[in-house]
Amino acid sequence: MAHELPYIAAINEAIQLEMARDDSVLYFGQNLATTENDEFVRAFGHDRVRVTPIAETAEIGMAVGAALAGLRPVVELYMAEFMLVAMNQVVNEAPRFRYMSGGRVKVPLVLKAGYGFTAGWAGQHTGSIYGMFLGIPGLKVALPATAADAKGLMATAIRDDNPVCFLHHYLLTLEPGEVPDGEYLVPFGQAQIRRAGGDVTIVATGWMVGKALAAAASLAAEGIEAEVIDPRTLAPLDTTTILTSVQKTGHVVLVDQAPRHAAASALIAGEIAEHGFSTLKAPIRQVTGLDVTVPYSEPMEAFVLPDDTKIAAAVRQVLGTAPVPA
Amino acid sequence: MSTSNNPAELDDERLIWAFTQMLRIREFEERVKRTFEEHPGVIRGHTHLADGAEASIVGALATLRENDQLMCTYRCHGYPLVLGTDPRAMMAEIYGRTGGLCGGYGGSMHLVDPERGFMGTSGIVGQGIPQATGVAYAAQIRKRDQVVLCFFGDGASKQGAFSESLNIASLWKLPVVYVMENNSYNVITRVEQEDANAAAGEPLAVKAKAFSMPGVTVDGGDPIAVYEAVWAAVARAREGHGPTLVESKLYRLSAHGNIIAPPGVPLHFPEHEAVEVFGAAEEYEAAKRGDPVPRFRARLVTDGKLDAERADAIAAQVRDEMQAAVRYGLDSPFPEPADAVNHVYA
Amino acid sequence: MPRTTRTGPAKSPELDHPTTLALLATMWRIRCFEERVARLSRSLLVHGLIHLSIGGEGVAAAVCRQLRDDDAVYSGHRAHGHALAKGAPMDRVMSELMGRSDGLCRGLGGSMHLVDREHGLLGATGVVGGNLPLAAGDALAAKLRGTDQVTVVFFGDGAVQGGYFHETVNLAALWELPLIFVCENNGFAEFTPRAAHTKVERVCDVVAPYDFERRTVDGSDVPALWSAFGEYLARARAADGSGRGGGRGPYLLECLTHRLRGHYEGDPQAYREALAEADWARLDPLARLQTDARRRGWLGEDEVRSIEEAARAEVEAAVRFARASPPAEPDATAGLVYARVGTQS
Ligand SMILES: Cc1ncc(C[n+]2csc(CCOP(=O)(O)OP(=O)(O)O)c2C)c(N)n1
Ligand SMILES: Cc1ncc(C[n+]2csc(CCOP(=O)(O)OP(=O)(O)O)c2C)c(N)n1
Ligand SMILES: [Mg+2]
Ligand SMILES: [Mg+2]
Repeated sequence: MAHELPYIAAINEAIQLEMARDDSVLYFGQNLATTENDEFVRAFGHDRVRVTPIAETAEIGMAVGAALAGLRPVVELYMAEFMLVAMNQVVNEAPRFRYMSGGRVKVPLVLKAGYGFTAGWAGQHTGSIYGMFLGIPGLKVALPATAADAKGLMATAIRDDNPVCFLHHYLLTLEPGEVPDGEYLVPFGQAQIRRAGGDVTIVATGWMVGKALAAAASLAAEGIEAEVIDPRTLAPLDTTTILTSVQKTGHVVLVDQAPRHAAASALIAGEIAEHGFSTLKAPIRQVTGLDVTVPYSEPMEAFVLPDDTKIAAAVRQVLGTAPVPA
Repeated sequence: MSTSNNPAELDDERLIWAFTQMLRIREFEERVKRTFEEHPGVIRGHTHLADGAEASIVGALATLRENDQLMCTYRCHGYPLVLGTDPRAMMAEIYGRTGGLCGGYGGSMHLVDPERGFMGTSGIVGQGIPQATGVAYAAQIRKRDQVVLCFFGDGASKQGAFSESLNIASLWKLPVVYVMENNSYNVITRVEQEDANAAAGEPLAVKAKAFSMPGVTVDGGDPIAVYEAVWAAVARAREGHGPTLVESKLYRLSAHGNIIAPPGVPLHFPEHEAVEVFGAAEEYEAAKRGDPVPRFRARLVTDGKLDAERADAIAAQVRDEMQAAVRYGLDSPFPEPADAVNHVYA
Repeated sequence: MPRTTRTGPAKSPELDHPTTLALLATMWRIRCFEERVARLSRSLLVHGLIHLSIGGEGVAAAVCRQLRDDDAVYSGHRAHGHALAKGAPMDRVMSELMGRSDGLCRGLGGSMHLVDREHGLLGATGVVGGNLPLAAGDALAAKLRGTDQVTVVFFGDGAVQGGYFHETVNLAALWELPLIFVCENNGFAEFTPRAAHTKVERVCDVVAPYDFERRTVDGSDVPALWSAFGEYLARARAADGSGRGGGRGPYLLECLTHRLRGHYEGDPQAYREALAEADWARLDPLARLQTDARRRGWLGEDEVRSIEEAARAEVEAAVRFARASPPAEPDATAGLVYARVGTQS
């Protein structure tokens, strides 16, 4: 059985189910649970649901400590950029602790943050900064693109014994979707084929999945069948599904909202180039954000971001049905 | 250089200037707020207003000299207006136009006007504090007799950057004054829910103790009180004795910011959190009754510094000025999309 | 909300005869271990960056010997003494420093990252102050569970100027966490004296705005350390009156110590004068406690020698153990980057 929920509500449902299932799960962060009316407070009380000051280093560091002590904190960070003021805890403490202890401890925690809010929030609140977390062994990165995945990946993130960056796309917040009832887990490291097709493989995450599907729909009218793959987690990354598709299509367009040089697509391109080169019939193309800070003004903002038109154009280029710009 | 131990008495003209500046800020913010209703879609993203903080801003800035500098937060519209930045350019920036102060790249949270000493803002809580401290460091070693004002909220005082900066500024005796605008809220969190000092019933100015620095608390609704407190701190900083923490107690009269919504959904300002989140309508009504703008006007009129007629004339002039800013903003063209790639590197 | 006055036994525990001997034994173990590590590091058998705590053994012993295995300790880059005093087996600590597979962390962590969960050494971190919020989180966990566990975090005076310190102190005070901050104020952060870092000489004064209980003690006066820490510990453990247990704090114990050796092994120490012998005798916590014990007639010449010899013998055995332990296997890292769901840590 399933029910319809907005993406953000699906995330909350997962947190609530996990909190009900396991009383070691905590939920804390800024600007939540400030009144008794808060749904989390009503269900779980102030011990497990807490408002914190604006002190990301303490918030994330305390999550690491509580995790070392056997709890499973979910830290509400709202915007991924706010993690940047606590990078030592995110990069240098949480994911390395287990490893350097030779496996004697574990740090199960979830850093929940939105990203990619390209709606006039200007340079400091709109970034797609997951790329910088991919080079950090020990840290997992989940990027749900649908309400169902949002629920299933959050539940899995909470049960995972490692620090997980759970990054939900801000522009999907109110996007409704069918969500399975009750306990629902989406495994990490399993990509989802959102649309099957034999001509070209498009890989996209988050908000870009919808753009890729829109591009695929318009390409279908031209007789081009695109396969759209959503990795769902970037660490771990399901290269098998991607390579299998590339083997079939021989053509690849990688879509990523991040600036080109910080995009996960570059990493995926590297995997395909190394492990699927012989199956490629044309060079890989990446459709990414430009290497600029996201500008405030709308026309400029649209210019720097990938969209369905840019994706469709890239597909035509790799298939040789459109000229490649010099 | 001022050597007196007392702030210069604000003469009548200066008091009227202060009142005018407060009105300008209020009118500007009102126009920004009205834009959401009158011109839906024109302002994007997240906008934070300074209504309620006018007395604090103007009182603090009245202490500055031409060369002095300041930095602040995303709640940044008030300061440049007082420093002389063209409200038309500010409004155009908030509307994302080429005529904007920053060409439409920054928007409401990221105004900058370095020629007037407005060194910029940070949208990330607390992060402007070390930057302002660095501006003060530059001022100290260049020996230009400059003082830097650093504005931030009560919530920001829990950021590590706050403590790191105040320690260094105190140690190096930097010419900086930290003005904490304590509006008792960090979005929907009340200060006593997140601050150990507030929870113990203490003013937040006690935090200065940790850095061996003076800390004072002042009524931020009274421009003259703020002027006097900041004046003393500025004088101390200018004389090379180092920083002060001034806690200015005020009340923000609008919600933290406009609603957060996906593109295409019309934005607006919700009710203040006291009402919307805590159901404390009396708290908000009391704050409204204490509104610093009419309060100061009444005081000037009572003291015979300003007659009602002149006050009305000033208000009319300010209305025209800000109306023109809205007009200019709306008429200013959008930037070329491809201009987005400019300014990435100097 | 007015600050609550804390209840619980306020009587300071005093050092008795057997405890004094136990502490002396612990301090000798740390001293001999570190002297040996200094030599091993010169011959590169111990590698990496090594920070010794000679001069600080009194703090490690007086604090850790009062804790239970289920009380968590967080330490930093100068962690050997804390680890040994908390109960980490010396041979495995030595193996860790030598990068062997029998190391406390299988040779993956080294000197700055000692972890021994069974003995409540939850972890040392090499980034200054990185441990402070971790310890607060651990104390929060104890509080939420309603246990009477107390968390201790060791840090240097250098960490106090970092934002993480203030972020942590605010939350520990606001949430009244059962956390004892133990600052080893040795007056130096690396090669810079405290006066170059801050105007505030005493760390106790830095937390003054939060007004929780704090005390500065002479870090070479072991009886004073013992009773000051013991008092805080007892009070942090005391039930908070809510009827469900749960300790309460925080407390700060600032210990003024002398770092006899350089910041790290190999530090030429051009920034400070060598210490006169007589001054060291005054600052050496081990010598002081030993003299005191002899004056009380608790210790004869022979016993002094036998405590020291036992420590040296243990160290030599630890070195033999470590030498015999194979170097960490290159594939020791397999399976350690991520924990698998359901694994018991
Ligand atoms: C590091 C960081 N964390 C969280 C936020 C989200 N945020 C924006 S404004 C704000 C409230 C700040 O409160 P305060 O400092 O009191 O300033 P005020 O808005 O009341 O003027 C928060 C939490 C942010 N911008 N940066
Ligand atoms: C964040 C960070 N900055 C700098 C360093 C380099 N560092 C290692 S130890 C140390 C000095 C710390 O001084 P203190 O806290 O007083 O401890 P002590 O060494 O005196 O025991 C520094 C600066 C570090 N490890 N982490
Ligand atoms: Mg505030
Ligand atoms: Mg030190």
